[in-house]
Amino acid sequence: MTPKEQPPVLISNADQQLALSSLEHDQLVKAKKHFIPRRHLKGPELVVLWALRIYLLFMMAVVGYQAWIAAR
Amino acid sequence: MNVGSQPSLTRAGLFPNGGETVVITHEDVDRAHDRVRVSTARARRGFSSRAKLLWLLVGPGVLVMLGENDGPSMLSYAATGAKFGIGFFLPFVALTFGMAIVVQEMTVRLGAATHRGHAELIFERFGPFWGWFSMIDLGIGNFLTLITEFIAIRAGLGFFGVPPWMAILIALIILYGALVSHRYWTWERITLAAALFNLVFIPVALMTHPSWHSVGHAFITWQPLPGFNKDTLLIVLADIGATVTPWMLFFQQSATVDKGMTTKDIRFGRIDTVLGAALATAAAVATILATAPLFAHQMTADTFQAAEFAQALQPLIGRFGASLFALGMVEAGIVASITISTSSAYAFGEVTHKPHSLNLPMGQGKAFYSVLTLCAVAAAAIVLVPGLPLVYVVLVVNVVAVLAMPPALVFLFMLVNDKEIMGDLVSPAWANVLATAVVFILTAAGVLFGVSIIAPNIFAALSGK
Repeated sequence: MTPKEQPPVLISNADQQLALSSLEHDQLVKAKKHFIPRRHLKGPELVVLWALRIYLLFMMAVVGYQAWIAAR
Repeated sequence: MNVGSQPSLTRAGLFPNGGETVVITHEDVDRAHDRVRVSTARARRGFSSRAKLLWLLVGPGVLVMLGENDGPSMLSYAATGAKFGIGFFLPFVALTFGMAIVVQEMTVRLGAATHRGHAELIFERFGPFWGWFSMIDLGIGNFLTLITEFIAIRAGLGFFGVPPWMAILIALIILYGALVSHRYWTWERITLAAALFNLVFIPVALMTHPSWHSVGHAFITWQPLPGFNKDTLLIVLADIGATVTPWMLFFQQSATVDKGMTTKDIRFGRIDTVLGAALATAAAVATILATAPLFAHQMTADTFQAAEFAQALQPLIGRFGASLFALGMVEAGIVASITISTSSAYAFGEVTHKPHSLNLPMGQGKAFYSVLTLCAVAAAAIVLVPGLPLVYVVLVVNVVAVLAMPPALVFLFMLVNDKEIMGDLVSPAWANVLATAVVFILTAAGVLFGVSIIAPNIFAALSGK
């Protein structure tokens, strides 16, 4: 079935009422379109994040080296 | 609220809500039906109602833990038993699942408190720069792991003479079969039923007649200890990577949100996580016990793959036991391929703000289902390419998971302590101490691994050889 042939998803009034009464407001799909405000990272947090990023990149190179040695 | 003036049916419900128009979608309605059953069970008293509530709320925790008992994980446990027998690694594996509980409980709280997925929260709270880093980590890790799941499936079914292409096709059909209902609840129950088959390693272990005295002694004393060398370190890393990996964080949080869990459900989310960890520990320990006779018979298992363990065990436990072992490997691969590809699809949808839910009809969730299917099909296709040195992927995938975990944990740690989004549900001090300890242990294990590769002489000196 092509997308054009998809039947429209019909939502009855009862179902709409059910969704509004049983879901928390921020559980609704529409509510999730609102962005959560950005948090600015502080100095120590940035240091930890960068340190772990460098650690990961370095260690991935080590894993690659190990695989290369094993392949040889 | 006046609903009588609304048309009887609309394509997507438009409802006034305090002056703001709220659009109700098919996904909302499906989730609402699930929540009504939870509310009804919660309103009743008595043991049966509590049991019903647990039945309704159990899912993401059990799935994530048994999903992580995947192809490479079971292979790691099998290699552990075959190389070291009954000893230090039995309590060690139980401890790693303890670490997994500490970490995964945080994702339950985050999901229930914010109703947002993990990738979405990282992107929105810390910005796309850090968001893309964590997505790249997740994408690479998930794809490599997916490849190993299909290797496990191919090897496991190969034990029964099933040709590789047919083994892969069977796995993809099962993966697709779990999706066709387009309901989170149905998908979760089908996958849970498949995941419980992970416990098949328990009867296999019993068939090997393990010495329960040795098992008890190992759990109490952590002995005999393995030698401190490169092989031991690799197994330590592989066993840690078999229980805590980045995809688990993303999956459980997204599944908690998709299931519609709220802050009222956190207690049951914790029970779900602990139950999953207990079941997964039982299966992992059973796998070590199942292959321990290979150690006792001094059979070298360095080059064993999934099905080869089954073949090696056949003289000891018979064809039936070996078949169960091979089927366990197949199950491990299938369940993990379902959960890991779903985790990738959730993360993609969260980052691109495309609809992302297992409650979506196919027409509304094209991007979500396409990513899920494409990830699985691409990994499956790679496994069918002849001559590729995929054995290295199996060897390094758990190590990569351990290495990628500390950066992922720091994001989780920062989010779960963020009072603006968590309110009173921020982590207590003791949980922060435990989480920090997990980060240090994982980073230290990674550094030791690096030293053992780059400077093997220093490592040998450290280990006293």
